[in-house]
Amino acid sequence: MEIGIRSIFLVACCLVISTSINAQEDQQGQQQSATGQSVIEAQVQRRDINEANIDSENFELGLFIGVISIEDFSSNTLLGARVAYHVSENLFVEAAYGQAEAGQTSFEILSGGAPFLTEDERDYRYYNLALGYNLNGETFVTNNWVFNSATYFTLGAGSTEFGGDERFTLSFGAGYRLLLTDYFALHFDLRDHIFNSELIGEEKTTHNIEYGLGATFFF
Amino acid sequence: MASITTTLLLHPLINMQLILPTLLSIVLCLLSTVLHGEEAPIQVQIVEPYIELHTGPASGYPVFYVAEQGEWLSILKGRTNWFKVETNKGKQGWVKQQALQLSLSSEGQPVALYESTFASYNQRDFELGALGGTLEGVPSLSIFASWVVNENISTELSITQALGDFSENQLLLVALHHDTFPEWRLSPFISLGVGQLRTKPRANLVQAGDETRSSDLLAAGLGLRYYLTRNFVIKLEYKSLLALTDRDENEELEEWKLGFAVFF
Repeated sequence: MEIGIRSIFLVACCLVISTSINAQEDQQGQQQSATGQSVIEAQVQRRDINEANIDSENFELGLFIGVISIEDFSSNTLLGARVAYHVSENLFVEAAYGQAEAGQTSFEILSGGAPFLTEDERDYRYYNLALGYNLNGETFVTNNWVFNSATYFTLGAGSTEFGGDERFTLSFGAGYRLLLTDYFALHFDLRDHIFNSELIGEEKTTHNIEYGLGATFFF
Repeated sequence: MASITTTLLLHPLINMQLILPTLLSIVLCLLSTVLHGEEAPIQVQIVEPYIELHTGPASGYPVFYVAEQGEWLSILKGRTNWFKVETNKGKQGWVKQQALQLSLSSEGQPVALYESTFASYNQRDFELGALGGTLEGVPSLSIFASWVVNENISTELSITQALGDFSENQLLLVALHHDTFPEWRLSPFISLGVGQLRTKPRANLVQAGDETRSSDLLAAGLGLRYYLTRNFVIKLEYKSLLALTDRDENEELEEWKLGFAVFF
């Protein structure tokens, strides 16, 4: 009788232990499969993916310095700022502002006569809004020294303040962006600003070609 | 969950085995947060056989590494529809959003990164854009910012510059927009606004008595907007403007413009 009760106890104990061990194994198994049996499972943060938590760098802001050849008014140093918003890997929109001071026409220099424009009127300022298209690629400076880069084309319109007036201006440009890091880039730009001017007599279309070097940050 | 906790508590050995690394990782995470001053990056696991890592955020930049199935990726940052990731082997590269969407989050759920789609257009808060066109036959350029009240109504502030042979015009307008069918990809809209017009004669035409004039403006407009891609829309707009001059007759102006806007 006693042995009977003992054996029943023993069987009961065995059952309890075996089920609890099975349960442990199941739980361990579940935990392992949930974390993909990865070595770094303990470091995994449990949270939902929300893009708001990921830092996005779609804006590009920078300064540039260059030379602008103002038609009939010689070439001059240009300073400016640029901000761009990258819509896709290829497409971006850009706003630029630049200012320079125009020189003298050859007539003014040769004749030594009265100047065409006052000092204030020689201030050359422009803004323009443009759409740009990137052709992305790599630049091999040497065999092993490689940077990401992009060649881009822009088409824009804006206004130029020169000779005391604001003039509607079309801008065509091409540029080269060298990405030194993910968020810092050097630019080399060529741009043609086209507007109508009657400053030296009859109205004509003038081409004012700018080239410049710039540096921008993505943020 | 409760039963798991009880079992874990009932088995001190396993309990310690699990708790130690967890505690250690929490301490490490806290430490890294303190050291970096920011949140630990979001991690996802690769489900597909592999994911390609590019050297930069565009298809034009080459694939330099292939991360395998089961590897964990930390998402560091994003640019347009590319994300910079770091594998658990320490490789950093850029992955396209579509590829990342095939991975699993730490919750074991498919990754659903917020993507700017047409559906997100109706949840936008504000819009920025630029339009070009003609005002009474003279080239004009506008920039605008609009704040969205609800899916139909938005308020807009715009500045326009129109440069003619005889004068320079600056327009400042505050307008109320009504998107008639916001659920359509191509939807018409109407607008009503008030503002100011400033007209400055060209320098070479200035004579005695000619100077900058300001007058109030009333505006009514009709337009079309088309959702293009990501957070980009195209707009075509016609506006009829009435300048309330201090002369005998009011001046009526017509404006056509075409442009684009980005929304956030």
